[in-house]
Amino acid sequence: MHNKQRLVFGYLALIPAIIVFAVFIVYPVFNTFYLSFCNYRTQTIRQGAKFIGLANYAQMFGDDKMWTALKFTVLFTLISVVLESVLGMLCALIMNRQGKTRALVCAMILIPWCIPTVVSGLMWNYIFAESYGILNFLLQILGVTSQPVRWLTDSRYAFLSILISDVWKTVPYMSLLMLSALKTVDSSYLEAAQIDGANKVQSFFKISMPCMKPIILVAVMFRTIQSFRIYDLIRVLTNGGPQGKTTSLTIYTITQYTTYGNMGYGAALAVLTFIISMIIAVCFQDGVKSKLEV
Amino acid sequence: MQAVQRKPGRSVGGQIGLGTFTVLFVLLIVAPFVWLLLAAFKSGKELYSMPVQILPSAFNLQNFKDAFSVQPLLKYVVNSIVVAVVSTVMIIIIASLVSFSLARTQIKGKRLVLLMLLSISLLPPVTILNPIYLMMSNLKMMNTTLGLALVLVAIELPTAAWYLMSFFQTIPDALEESAMIDGANVVTIFCRILMPLVAPGVFTVSIMTFIAVWNNYLFASVLNPSKKARTVTVALTMYAGETTTPWNTIAAAAIVACVPLVIMVLICQRRIVSGMVDGAVKG
Repeated sequence: MHNKQRLVFGYLALIPAIIVFAVFIVYPVFNTFYLSFCNYRTQTIRQGAKFIGLANYAQMFGDDKMWTALKFTVLFTLISVVLESVLGMLCALIMNRQGKTRALVCAMILIPWCIPTVVSGLMWNYIFAESYGILNFLLQILGVTSQPVRWLTDSRYAFLSILISDVWKTVPYMSLLMLSALKTVDSSYLEAAQIDGANKVQSFFKISMPCMKPIILVAVMFRTIQSFRIYDLIRVLTNGGPQGKTTSLTIYTITQYTTYGNMGYGAALAVLTFIISMIIAVCFQDGVKSKLEV
Repeated sequence: MQAVQRKPGRSVGGQIGLGTFTVLFVLLIVAPFVWLLLAAFKSGKELYSMPVQILPSAFNLQNFKDAFSVQPLLKYVVNSIVVAVVSTVMIIIIASLVSFSLARTQIKGKRLVLLMLLSISLLPPVTILNPIYLMMSNLKMMNTTLGLALVLVAIELPTAAWYLMSFFQTIPDALEESAMIDGANVVTIFCRILMPLVAPGVFTVSIMTFIAVWNNYLFASVLNPSKKARTVTVALTMYAGETTTPWNTIAAAAIVACVPLVIMVLICQRRIVSGMVDGAVKG
C-alpha cells in the first residue's frame, strides 16, 4: 500500500519540472531548429517564417565572420579550460597542505564566484583602461613597458585581457572543486605508494589522479561548455572588438538577432553552438555516466 | 601516520612557501575588487589623476548618490530582488519534489530524468533565446519581472535539483520507515519529515540559486530591456555614455549590486563551500 502510494507520488512530483522544461526548454530548442531552416526577419515578422531549406546553413559555412567567431571561441575555450584546470589543481594542491589559513582562503575564493560576471567585467575594464588604468601604471613603474598597453583595443592584447578576467573569476571556484576531489583520495593508498618508494609526482599522477578522475571530468566538462558559450564578460570588456577579433559565437549570434534582425540565420548559428556543446559533452562521456547514477 | 604527515610542507622553508602563496593568492583575488571599491569613493579628478592616486582623499558618498539619481537604481534593485526571490522559491519547491522522487522512490526512468537534467544544465542559453523572446512577446510578458523569473526557473532548476539530491540521499531510511509504521502517508513524510531534515541543504541551495538568478545578464537584457522591469546587472552596463565612462559612478552602482551577495556569501561561507563540495563529490 505504502509503496504504491509512494511510487505514485514519485511520478507526480516530476510533473511541475516536466511542464517547466517542456515550455521553456524543449519547445524553444525545437523551435530554434525549425527556424534555422527558415527565412524569418524582425523587419518582416508579420509575414512569418518561410521555409528555405538549408540556405541558412549554406550561408553560415561561407560566412567569414562566423569562421572568425568560431576560431576565436574554440581557441579561447581550449586555452582557458586548460589554464584554469591546471591552475585550479595547483592551487588546490597547495591549499590541501594549509592548516589554519584554509578557511580564510576558502572565504576569499567565494568573492569572484559570487559577484555578477557583468561586475567583474566592468572591474577589469577599469583596471585595463589605457591612460589611467592601474595595470598600465604598475607596468610602467616596474619598467615592463614604456608605452601604455592598449589592453582592450589592440587585437593582440584583447584576447589576453579576456583570458585574465576569466581566470580571475573561475580559477578560485575551480580550485575549490579540485580541493574537494583531492579530499576523496584515500590517504592509505598514498602512504602505501610512499613506502614502495614512489615520489610525490609519481603518486600524484599514478594514484591521486585516477581516484579523482570522475570528479575532475565533470568539473572540466562543465567548464568547457560554459567557456564555449562565453557572452557576458566579452560584452562588457570589448563587445567583440577590436575589428570583431574577440567576437564569440554567442556574441555573433546575438548580433544577428538584434542588429540585423535575422532570426533564421541566428537560429542556424544557435544550432551550431548547440551541436558543438553536445559534442563536447559526448567527449566527456565518462563524466556524464558518473552523473547519471543516483 | 606521524612519519607520513611530517612532509617538507611542515619544514620552515615549506611554511614560508605556503605563507607566501597564501598571501599572493588572497591578494590576487581581493586586490582587483578592492580597487573597484576604492573607485566608488573617488572624485572624478582623483579617478583620472596621474600618477595614480590609490586612496580616495575623503570618504565621499557622492558617487552613490549619483548612481541612484542618474538611473532609478533603487527600482532596479527591487526588480532584481523580486525576480530572484520568485525564481528561487519556485525552484526550491520544484527541485525538492524532483530530488525526492529521484533520491527516495523507486520510480522507473530515473536515468532518463537525470539525463534530462544534465542536458539542460549543459544547454547553451543562446539556443533557446529567440523562441523564448518570441513566446514572451506573444504572451505580453516582455518587461515583466514574472516573465523573466519563470524563464530563469527553467534555466537554474537542474543545478538546484542536483545539489538538493545529494542532501536527500544523506537521510537514513530508518527515519522514514518509523513514520510509515506510525501511519503517516507519503505527502506527510515529505512535508513533515524530509523537508525539515534537508532544511540546511535547502538554505544553501537557495543562496546559490538566488546568486545565479541575480547575476543573470543574457535573459535579463533580452527579455526586460525597458525601464519598467530592468534588473541591476543590465542597468550596470548603461552608465557608460557614448564618450564618457564615469567609473566612480559605475563602481558605486556595482558595489550596490554585489555587496549584498558578498555579505550573504561570507556569512554562510562554510555551508556554501561544503554544499559545493558535496555537489561535486556525490552528484
